[in-house]
Amino acid sequence: MSLKVMVCDDSMFVRKKMKDAVAAAGASEIIEAADGQQAIDKYKAEKPDLVFMDIIMPVKSGVEALTEIKAFDSNAKVVMASSVGTQENLKEAIMAGAYDFLQKPIANEDVAKIISKASQ
Amino acid sequence: MFTQFFGNYLLHQQLVSPEHLSEVLQSMKTTRLKLGVLAINAGYMTAEQVEKAHTEQQRVDKRIGEVMVDMGFLTKDQVEELFKTQPSGHLLLGQALVDNGYMTNTQFEQALNSYKQENSISEADFNDNSDDAAAKLVKNFYNFNIGENSSYMTGYVSLLFKNLIRFIGDDFTPMDAKPVSGEISNCVVQRIAGGLSAITIIDADSNAMIEFASRFAKEELTADDEYTQACVSEFINLHNGLFAVNVSNETGVELKLEPQCYYDNMDISELKNACIIPVCFSFGTVNFIISL
Repeated sequence: MSLKVMVCDDSMFVRKKMKDAVAAAGASEIIEAADGQQAIDKYKAEKPDLVFMDIIMPVKSGVEALTEIKAFDSNAKVVMASSVGTQENLKEAIMAGAYDFLQKPIANEDVAKIISKASQ
Repeated sequence: MFTQFFGNYLLHQQLVSPEHLSEVLQSMKTTRLKLGVLAINAGYMTAEQVEKAHTEQQRVDKRIGEVMVDMGFLTKDQVEELFKTQPSGHLLLGQALVDNGYMTNTQFEQALNSYKQENSISEADFNDNSDDAAAKLVKNFYNFNIGENSSYMTGYVSLLFKNLIRFIGDDFTPMDAKPVSGEISNCVVQRIAGGLSAITIIDADSNAMIEFASRFAKEELTADDEYTQACVSEFINLHNGLFAVNVSNETGVELKLEPQCYYDNMDISELKNACIIPVCFSFGTVNFIISL
């Protein structure tokens, strides 16, 4: 499988766990970003096939980053992740163009399912 | 969750000193439940019968279960059933106190029976971590009195204990709430905004921080570094996220979590409607500071 995935979270612990889950699911290349602005810059430079993006982040939030990434590339596949799985957050992510939504703590099986869907 | 509050009950009844409780919590990991404590807990034997059986065992070359059956205190079926009992925290704590000589079997029996009676709990209730049971226990125990936000505080703290059991372990004793004052060091902070303004903090010494993070991450961490802080930060983020979901579902109020921060030092004396809830784990004390 040739799939370049970007993992964006301000927590180095979550990035590590996500990288492990994404690698186990068969991603061929993994990029990291630690805040919303880095995610935008790296998306533009690297054009990953799939992005996992935390919502609560410093500098720029995940939803702000998602909006800018979608403005740059309307086909971008960005999965939003948050510990706050409320209807309100889900709605906001979908309205901003999210590809999917994951509630933390993120299960590896959910990551694998999304990667499988994105690679089809 | 009644299991976790049993240690605090023993402190309140002055049956154990804070120093002995702390010492015993650390030795609980290696404590093995003995048949006597299990039989007392199940109501099959009195402490006096257990003592008699132990005295008798010193005179005969038999296992304690056989001695108890021979003396007519237990049936073989009861022995088998007791050996299958899962080790609950309150029993391990009682056993560790007895093993260390800080409490006799009789004192343990009396304390356990009074605790069950005063809280109207059965054996099955001990590990009941349902929302209602947890909220009722926390409300009765802490009796938060911070005006209109008291029910939020009760909800926050009962969910905290549930999440500690879920993500860290059940070997802890919640201590009495303390007022905030002065400075704290080595802490992780997350602010909550939106329909409710709150500051939530986890504060612990380096060793407790490392062990707390190790358990949460399910990794063997050895240094109180940025990665350890990230693990503890993620725990508070998960907990606050679940709290926000509960508040949204129950009241329709939407909360916004802010990114977590780490501080070497923080002055907490000015925090409003705040309290410190120390939680004694077998590896040390972790303070949860909540301002609502």
